[in-house]
Amino acid sequence: MPSLAPGACGGCAQHRTDSLLRLGLNPDKWDILIALAGNPNVGKSTVFNALTGLRQHTGNWPGKTIVRAEGAFAHEGKRLKLVDLPGTYSLQAGSADEEVARDFILFGRPDVTVVVVDATRLERNLNLVLQILDITDRVVVYLNLVDEARRHGIAVDAARLEQRLGVPVVSGVARERVGIDDLLGAAYRVATGQRETRPYRLEELPGNVEGTVAALAGTVAQAFPQVPNARWVALRLLNADDAVVEAVRSGELGQLGDEPPPAEDAPPPAQGVRDHVLETARRLRWELPPDFQDALSERIFAAARSLAAAVRMQGLKRARFDFDRTLDRLLTSRTFGFPLMLAVLAVVFWITIEGANVPSGMLAALLIDQAHPWLHGLAAAAGLPWWLSGFLLDGVYLATAWVVAVMLPPMAIFFPLFTLLEDFGYLPRVAFNLDSLFRAAGAHGKQALTMCMGFGCNAAGVVSTRVIDSPRERLIAIITNNFSLCNGRWPTQILVATIFIGALAPAHLAGAVSAAAVVGIALLGILTMFVVSWLLSRTVLRGEATSFSLELPPYRPPRVLQTLYTSVIDRTLIVLWRAVVFAIPAGAVIWLVSNIEVGGATLAAHGVSWLNPFGLLIGLNGVILLAYIVAIPANEIIIPTVLMLTVLTAGAAGTAPGPGVMFELDSMEATGGLLRAGGWTLLTAVNLMLFSLLHNPCSTTIYTIYKETRSAGWTALSTLLPVAIGVAVCFLVTQVWRLVAA
Amino acid sequence: MVEPGFALAVFAGLCLLLAALLWPERGLLPRWLQFARLSERVRLEDALKHVFACRQEQQACTVDSLAGHLAVPSGEAAALLTRLARMGLLRMEPDGPALTAEGARSAVRIVRIHRLWERYLADRTGVPPAKWHDQAERMEHALSTEQADALDARLGRPAWDPHGDPIPDASGSMPPAPGIGLPAATPGRAVEIVHMEDEPPQIYDALLADGLVLGGRLEIVERSDEGVRVRAGGRDWTIDPVAARNVNVRELGPDAPVEAPTATLRDARPGERVRVVDISRACQGPQRRRLLDLGVVKGAEIVPELVSAAGDPVAYSIQGALVALRSQQAAWIRVDRNGAGARPEVA
Repeated sequence: MPSLAPGACGGCAQHRTDSLLRLGLNPDKWDILIALAGNPNVGKSTVFNALTGLRQHTGNWPGKTIVRAEGAFAHEGKRLKLVDLPGTYSLQAGSADEEVARDFILFGRPDVTVVVVDATRLERNLNLVLQILDITDRVVVYLNLVDEARRHGIAVDAARLEQRLGVPVVSGVARERVGIDDLLGAAYRVATGQRETRPYRLEELPGNVEGTVAALAGTVAQAFPQVPNARWVALRLLNADDAVVEAVRSGELGQLGDEPPPAEDAPPPAQGVRDHVLETARRLRWELPPDFQDALSERIFAAARSLAAAVRMQGLKRARFDFDRTLDRLLTSRTFGFPLMLAVLAVVFWITIEGANVPSGMLAALLIDQAHPWLHGLAAAAGLPWWLSGFLLDGVYLATAWVVAVMLPPMAIFFPLFTLLEDFGYLPRVAFNLDSLFRAAGAHGKQALTMCMGFGCNAAGVVSTRVIDSPRERLIAIITNNFSLCNGRWPTQILVATIFIGALAPAHLAGAVSAAAVVGIALLGILTMFVVSWLLSRTVLRGEATSFSLELPPYRPPRVLQTLYTSVIDRTLIVLWRAVVFAIPAGAVIWLVSNIEVGGATLAAHGVSWLNPFGLLIGLNGVILLAYIVAIPANEIIIPTVLMLTVLTAGAAGTAPGPGVMFELDSMEATGGLLRAGGWTLLTAVNLMLFSLLHNPCSTTIYTIYKETRSAGWTALSTLLPVAIGVAVCFLVTQVWRLVAA
Repeated sequence: MVEPGFALAVFAGLCLLLAALLWPERGLLPRWLQFARLSERVRLEDALKHVFACRQEQQACTVDSLAGHLAVPSGEAAALLTRLARMGLLRMEPDGPALTAEGARSAVRIVRIHRLWERYLADRTGVPPAKWHDQAERMEHALSTEQADALDARLGRPAWDPHGDPIPDASGSMPPAPGIGLPAATPGRAVEIVHMEDEPPQIYDALLADGLVLGGRLEIVERSDEGVRVRAGGRDWTIDPVAARNVNVRELGPDAPVEAPTATLRDARPGERVRVVDISRACQGPQRRRLLDLGVVKGAEIVPELVSAAGDPVAYSIQGALVALRSQQAAWIRVDRNGAGARPEVA
C-alpha cells in the first residue's frame, strides 16, 4: 500500500527499469539478492532509495509500497539486487501484502534479508524481526530513525541488541544516509557468508501447543533433514498454510535451506514420506485449541517486550515527545480540531485555485492562441492537405494542449502542498478526526483524504485509496471518489455559474452568488459521497472483509525540496501523461465526427439530433450529451467541445474557427450569448452543473479504477452508478421545475 | 415536450417496478431464487444431512424424524429416503436408514460448506450470529466443491466453525465436536463453552439471548431434572435439559476464575494504564488478526492517549506506537484496570 498520491508508480518495475538501464545495470542479472522488509512507515523506501540511488516516493504514511519495487546497484564488483517488500506488521500471511513479503523471504531465496526497524516503536517492530528470524538465519537489522527516537527520549543500545538477536544490527538515519554504508557492508558480509549469524529463536510455546508443534517438527525434521527451521514449518503446516503445504507436497521445501543450492542437490524425500508429514499435520491440527493463534502472538510479543526492555536506555529528556503530544492535543481537540482542519484545507484549495489562474492563462495563450495558428501556418507551408492538418492540429493537438493548460498548473500546486502535509504527518490526524463521520457511512476515516485528493484529480484519488488497508472500505472509497469535484470540472462549473446564475443577482453580488453555487455543487458531491457510501456498505459490499486500524505516526519535519521534486516529477507528470494519452484519441474523435458527413450532415449533427429528445427530457440537450460522450477522456475539454458543437448545429457563424476546432470565447458575455442561441436556459445551466458533478468518471479514472480493483464488475459499477444518479437527478429537477413553472 | 406530470409518473412507476423486482428478501427476484432453491435436490441433500447427523449423535433415525426435520408429510419423507437408497447413497438397516460410504462423503461435503460459510459470515461480514445458520443452509446447496475450496483458502483454512464444530478438510476427515455435554459437567466446577449447537435455531436463539457465547465461562451450580443451574456475570439461571444438551463445555482447573473481567478498553480513561486480558471471541477473522499483529495480546499494556475531535476513535499507545481504534473495537478488548499503575513519570 503506497503513499497517498499517484507517485506510487515511481515504485513500479517499469519506471525502475528505465532508470536502471541508465546506470548500466540490468536488474535481471545479479550476484546477491537482498530483501528489504519492515513494518509499514519505518522508512523502508528511504533505505531503498539511499542504497540504490533511485527516487521512489516516500511519505509519512503507513503503507506505501504495494508493488514489489526492485532496484540494482554495484558493490565491491558484485551486482546486488534489492527487493523492497510491502510493509507488514507480521508474516502470518493474513493479508495479500503479508503473503507477498512472506513468500519472497521463504521462496525467493534472498541471500540476505534487511529488516528496517523504527527505533521509536521497538516492541512492535521486533515482533516482525523475530518472525523473520524464525524463517531465515541471514538477517541484518537496520535500526532506523534513531534521531527521532532520541528526540522522543528513546535510545537503543545497538550492540546489545545485536548480541541478543544474534544477527548484525546497524543503527542510523536513512534520510541523512547515516549508517547506510555500514548496513551495506554488514548485509554483504552476511550474504557472502563471511559473517556467521546465530539468530535468536523463540522459546517454547504454552504447554498443550508445544507438544503438538514439537511432535510435528520432529516429523518434518526427519523427512527434510536439511531444513533449518523445522519448527516454523511445523507451525505453518498446523495453520494449513497453502504455500508451505504445497512446498512439502512437491518436495520443494528440501531445497529452501539457507545454503545456496549445492550442485549435488539432495533429492526430495519420497512421495510416501512427504504424504506422511502432511497426514500427521492434518491429524495433529485437531489437537490445537481454536485460539492458538493468540498464544503465538502473545509469545512473540512477550519476547519482543523483554528484548526491548533490555536494550532501551532510559532516563533521556523527551522534548520532542511532549511537543508531539501537545500538537496532537491541539489538532485533535474538540474545540479546535475541526476549525483548524477546515482552515488548512481551505488554504490549500485557495492557493491551488488562485495560484493556478495565471500559469493556466499563460499556457493557454502559448499553446492554443499562439502555437496552434503557428503550427497551422507551418502545415500550410509544408503543403499538408486540409484534412490531415485538421485532424492532427485541430483534433489531436488542440485536445492535448487544452488538457495540459487546464490540468498542469493546479496539479503542480495541489500535489506538492498535499505532499507536504502528508510528509509532516498531519493527514492521519485528519482521518482520525473525521473517522466517526465516515464510520456512520460504513467507510474508513482515511477516505476523507482520498476524497480531498479527488478534488485535485479523481485518478490520483483512486490511487491514493491504497492507504486504506481494509478491502471493503477501500472499494467504497474507490467507487465514490468520482463524487469529489475534480480540477478538470471546476472551470466548467465556474463558467456556467457565472453566466447563468450570477446573472440573476444584482451586479455587486454576482461574483458571490456564482461562487456560492459552485461551492454548493461541491458540497452536494460530498453529501452524495456519504449517501452512496452508506448504501454500498449496506448492499453490495455488505459481505466484504473489514479491518480498521489507523496508525498516527510521529510528526516529522517535511523536506520541502525533495517533496517538490518527487511530487512534481513523479506524481504530477505521471497523472498528466496518462491524461494526455487519453486526450489524444478524444481530440481525434471530436474532429472526425464534426467533419465526416453522412447523408448530407456530419456525424456530430446526426448524434446531436438523435440524442436531443433524451437530452431535453433530463433538462440538457443533444449537444451536451454528445460532448460528454466524445469527451469521456477529459472533463477539461467539455466546454470547448460544447461550444464547437453548438456552433456546428445551431449554425451561429462568425464566432467559430471551423468544424471540429474546439475553442473558448474571450468574454463571458459572448459565451453566454452563444449558448443562449443554442437554446440554453437557466434550467439547462443548473442541470449541466449537476450532470458535471454526477456523471461517469473520465476514462483516465476508469482505467485507474480497473488497475486498482482488477475487476471489471467494480469498474463498471463505479462508471455506471454516477451516470444513473446524474440522469435521475437531472430528470427529477427538470420535471419538477417544469411542473412548478407551468 | 413531454408533460412533466406524466414523465414523473412514469419515472415513479419505473422506480416502483425496480424495487418490486429487486428489493432484498421481499422482491420478486429474491423470492423466485428462494423458490428455486427448494428444489428436489435441496430436499435430498437435507435428508442426507439429517441421516448423517442422527447417526453421528447416535439418535434414532426414522421416517418420522426426517419428516419432522424437513417439515414435510411422512409420505414425502419416505419417498426421499427411497430415492436416496436408489441413488446408492443410503441403505436400510434394521435400526433405520444408514449412509453408504458414497452417501457419507456427500453429507460431509455439505457439512463442510455449511460450516465454512458460517466461518465466513463470522469472520468477514457483519451478519449477526442468529442469521448465520439460515444463510449457511442456503449456501450449502449453492456452492460447488471448487468454490468451497476457494473459500477455504481465502479464509486461511480454518479448523473450527464459529459454533465450535470442526470443519471437515478437503479430504473429509474431522474429529467429533469437542468437550462434554453441559449436563455431564461436575457441579461446583468452572467450565468454558467450547461448542454451541445451532440447530434447531429456536434453541440456539434462546441460548444466545441468555448471553451464552463460545469461549464464555460459567460456573455449574447444580444439576436437576429441571435442567442445569449455572452462574455467570453475577446472576444465576437454569438452562432447560433440552437446551443444555446443545452446549458442550470444557472443565477448567479447580482454581480457575469464573468471572471474566468485565472492563474493556473502552472504559479506560485517557492516561490510564491498563493491561490486556484477552480479545472477545466476537472479534474474529482479519479484525482479530490485525489487533494481534498490532500487539494487543494478553499482558500488553495500553494507554489511551488521544480522543479524536468527534470522541471516537481514540488513539492508544500500544507497543510503543500510537494506534487509533474505534470504540467498537475497544469494546472487544477486555482489560484489567488494576493490574498496572498510573503512567510512570520519566525523569
